[in-house]
Amino acid sequence: MTDAPLAPGRPPIGMTLAALLRADFTVLARTPQVLVTNLAVPIIFIVATSFGKRDFAEPGTLIGLALSYGTMSAGMLGYSTLVAQDRASGVFQRLRVTPTPSWAIMASRIVVQLVSAVVMTVLGVVVGSIAHGVVYEWHQYLAVLGVSLLGAAMFLCTGQAIVGLLRSPASVNAVGRVLFILLIISGILGSIGVLGDWFTVFSQWTPVGALTSLYAVAFGAAWSDATTAGAIMVPVYAVVCAFVGIRFFRWESR
Amino acid sequence: MADGAPSRDDVLSVDGLVVRYGSRVAVDGLSFSIGRGEIFGLLGPNGAGKTSTLSVIEGLQSPAAGTVLVDGQDAIRAPLAAKARLGVQLQASSFQPELGLEQLVRLYAGLYGLRLSGDGIRDRIEDAGLGDERAKRFKSLSGGQQQRFSLLIATLPRPLLMLLDEPTQGLDPQSRRQLWARIEGLRGEGGAILLTTHSMEEAQAVCDRIAIIDHGRLLATGSPAALIAEYREDPRVVRLARGEVTLEDVFIALTGSSIRD
Ligand SMILES: Nc1ncnc2c1ncn2[C@@H]1O[C@H](COP(=O)(O)OP(=O)(O)O)[C@@H](O)[C@H]1O
Ligand SMILES: [Mg+2]
Repeated sequence: MTDAPLAPGRPPIGMTLAALLRADFTVLARTPQVLVTNLAVPIIFIVATSFGKRDFAEPGTLIGLALSYGTMSAGMLGYSTLVAQDRASGVFQRLRVTPTPSWAIMASRIVVQLVSAVVMTVLGVVVGSIAHGVVYEWHQYLAVLGVSLLGAAMFLCTGQAIVGLLRSPASVNAVGRVLFILLIISGILGSIGVLGDWFTVFSQWTPVGALTSLYAVAFGAAWSDATTAGAIMVPVYAVVCAFVGIRFFRWESR
Repeated sequence: MADGAPSRDDVLSVDGLVVRYGSRVAVDGLSFSIGRGEIFGLLGPNGAGKTSTLSVIEGLQSPAAGTVLVDGQDAIRAPLAAKARLGVQLQASSFQPELGLEQLVRLYAGLYGLRLSGDGIRDRIEDAGLGDERAKRFKSLSGGQQQRFSLLIATLPRPLLMLLDEPTQGLDPQSRRQLWARIEGLRGEGGAILLTTHSMEEAQAVCDRIAIIDHGRLLATGSPAALIAEYREDPRVVRLARGEVTLEDVFIALTGSSIRD
């Protein structure tokens, strides 16, 4: 073994990011519950809704709902809980005493999340088009991917806002879950329309409702008022949550 | 080896350091410096401000006042340049619970800009006496193994200055001796070490020079032998000593005998 010189300088940022990404992808691969909730559940939903009567919703709406669920679960529950745990246990402190810029630690985790959103989307659309017997054009794939990345970004920002405002992993997880349920219910009930017209309109302005409208257009539906609401609200939610999540975030748990 | 005016050779110089948490003053105008190859012990009761002092050097905490130079680099204004020269063992070390030891060594090697082959990584783990534990997670190691692994990560970059916060806390006597030998061995490689401890035995066994602090202030500094010689005749020490004056007598005389938590 040859000895490195004493006190090397700062490593190139590419090397830092490569090391972080490798570790963060390994963490993801070694967290089976995350793979199940973020990948298996949307796929099962897509396949299950292809059986029996299909006229209550378009395949595109169903796939969009499943992908919304997946990106939301990854960002608001998976990402936020992992960040809260790593902060409480001191994993961040240990990383931060190395010559690593703080932004790189977060950037690597965000890249991992975005890449998994892409994987989930491709799988979801491929499985969906087979199960529901629809054929999508390549530009629809691209549009759906774009919407997924937007949605993943919005829910990551939401998750970041939660860990920015709350300290303990238990409260981060609890608030994430409650918010998750409220958002998914408002989105689903709105798109099915069982609670009346005013609720459907209201739901179009909520994060899940806004995102499913965008998915619908990406899958080929015509642009509507709901799409306009979605195109406005998704970036607004993302920017507001990102601001809160960065402004109030603390690296240490005390 | 410099007390007083910082010399060019100082690996670390801390000057007028003040750390506050809200209205609580944890470090209150602390100054000291460490020369090349020196093993320096920071001694003080619980809550004396040892970890807070290290946190500023490590860039985890911003000070209310004071300067910290690591090898001439301003650790407060240019933290990354300072951190590239530091090897750190935190008092409560924690590593990603999902990763095995090999993966952790690969991660930290990358963060210090070291290119280690798979064999290189296994050699380091072997050297730390953890060869059989390679694939295990940090959490499943024994206390002594965890400390050895933390020390391995701290030595990975072959740093100019190593910061060890209570490295032998909670270890049995065998593991403690073994760790002292490793710390001694690191001196041979030319780096300096700043360690904190409660153990006078440890301070006497491994430190060239110590500083006794309490309430964030420096009470005394010098080699263990010089401190004993200096305070031998002090009435507070004479009252405490049972027979031969020890470093512990000096420590308790200076920091008081009340219990801290
Ligand atoms: N993050 C923190 N927030 C508030 N008070 C703190 C924090 N860290 C340490 N303290 C307080 O500062 C003082 C010094 O603590 P510390 O530096 O950990 O001492 P030591 O390491 O010598 O035991 C203690 O009174 C401790 O309670
Ligand atoms: Mg401490």
